[in-house]
Amino acid sequence: MRAVPLGDSAITIVLGAERSTELLNRVHATAAALAVERLAEVQDIVPAYLGVAVFYDSLQASFSDMAAKLLAICDRRTASTADSDKIREHEIPVTYDGADLAQVSASTGLSVDEVIARHSGRLYSVDLLGFVPGFAYLSELDSALQLPRRSQPRPRVPAGSVAIAGAQTAVYPLDTPGGWHIIGRTDRVMFDPSRDPPALLSAGDMVRFVPTP
Amino acid sequence: MHSRSSGVPRGGAMDVFALQALNAIVGNAPASAALEWALGGGTLRFQIDCVFAIGGAHARATLTGRAMPSFTTCQARAGDELTVEQLTDGRFLYIALGGGIDVPQILGSRSTYLPGHFGGYNGRMIARNDTLSLGPAPISQPSEGFTCSPELLPRYDSAAVRITRGPHADLFDDAAWHTLTETEFAVSTASDRTGYKLKGKAVSDAAENLPSDASCQGAIQIPGDGTPIVLMADAPTVGGYPKIAVVAEADLPILAQRSPGHTVRFQLVTIEQSQRALKRRASDLYTIGATGAASA
Repeated sequence: MRAVPLGDSAITIVLGAERSTELLNRVHATAAALAVERLAEVQDIVPAYLGVAVFYDSLQASFSDMAAKLLAICDRRTASTADSDKIREHEIPVTYDGADLAQVSASTGLSVDEVIARHSGRLYSVDLLGFVPGFAYLSELDSALQLPRRSQPRPRVPAGSVAIAGAQTAVYPLDTPGGWHIIGRTDRVMFDPSRDPPALLSAGDMVRFVPTP
Repeated sequence: MHSRSSGVPRGGAMDVFALQALNAIVGNAPASAALEWALGGGTLRFQIDCVFAIGGAHARATLTGRAMPSFTTCQARAGDELTVEQLTDGRFLYIALGGGIDVPQILGSRSTYLPGHFGGYNGRMIARNDTLSLGPAPISQPSEGFTCSPELLPRYDSAAVRITRGPHADLFDDAAWHTLTETEFAVSTASDRTGYKLKGKAVSDAAENLPSDASCQGAIQIPGDGTPIVLMADAPTVGGYPKIAVVAEADLPILAQRSPGHTVRFQLVTIEQSQRALKRRASDLYTIGATGAASA
């Protein structure tokens, strides 16, 4: 475990070198441990795949002081496991009528009903948020559904689109360009800037998709 | 505010120093909302008496016929018109108005996030016939003609932009670092609030995609073709391109104001030096504010 500067106002705590479910759980536990401390200098905590970035007020604390403080907190928590009672589960209703549903069915050799069953039949974990506000990367998609992303991204994917690419699935929170395969849509609001926190999903949450007629 | 963990970038002014200095020059709190003007010509009509100041990029600007100096407290009367003819040097002109622009705070900020259509003035660019309301005038405003001492401003004409080692610095060999710090890059036309693509010698031909990790403003990414992209205010919060270095926050205004075709040369410094430079900027902003208040 080490702390490296990410510019003047952030520190990346590196927890591992290769992606794994175990490492991601450790990343989320570390982010939670740092958040609980509520350090006055800390402005934001951003978990990713291999570590956690901590944004801080560098007018209040230097890199070396902040790094030492953060590593001490992480060291204290290394032996602990994640607080499983704190994990939030979400059910997201989906109308499976996406523009790419037929093409996904053809590419995978599965019937449309099978695609829906395999997508909705499992619990996903939120890996991290990024790309655009509220965009949560969920894993792991059933291996029979795994396809490379579209060769040509769409200039506009409507907000609420449920999509898949590689080993992940996601709901587009805003109208944005996108290259994932759209298989359905939801009315659930994934991102609301007037909410606190504004994103519906957080890293470490669990998600299940529920087909609606 | 914990917005980055929801995927919300920092956003805000591309040249934060100019914004804060101009706010100080009109007596506003540093984070008061102001205008970021990135295009050519246009006119603002004042419907009330108002103290204001412009600065950042150099601009040919007049107030009802009188040439406008930059980084200087100006008094507009109801009916006056501020006309910006064109930006002559730099890319972002800021207009700070006494009292600040009165728009709601969203996620702790009054700035506009255009890709998400929220924040600022209805989540969009200001258009013809829009009316901007101002907050209450500051209690203490610097006197008309108060001007910020030039040595307190960033060296916008400096060719050198300081950088610190990024989280993936070790993935790049000596040749790559030599290219990054000993050659010049030109800002390309593919540069906007999300990022500035640079043109020059390829930094590395061995770049790979990494598992996504957190980004920050000023992070210098090296994608597959080896030419750097510097992330700016609206850049996504995480990404998979290797980050070789990060621009010192104190020098972000210098890079932000560099127009397409103009060059930049990166100068590697330690994190201690970089943070010291940032503290110096904060101290300079405080000096501007204090001197302005004393002139009121």
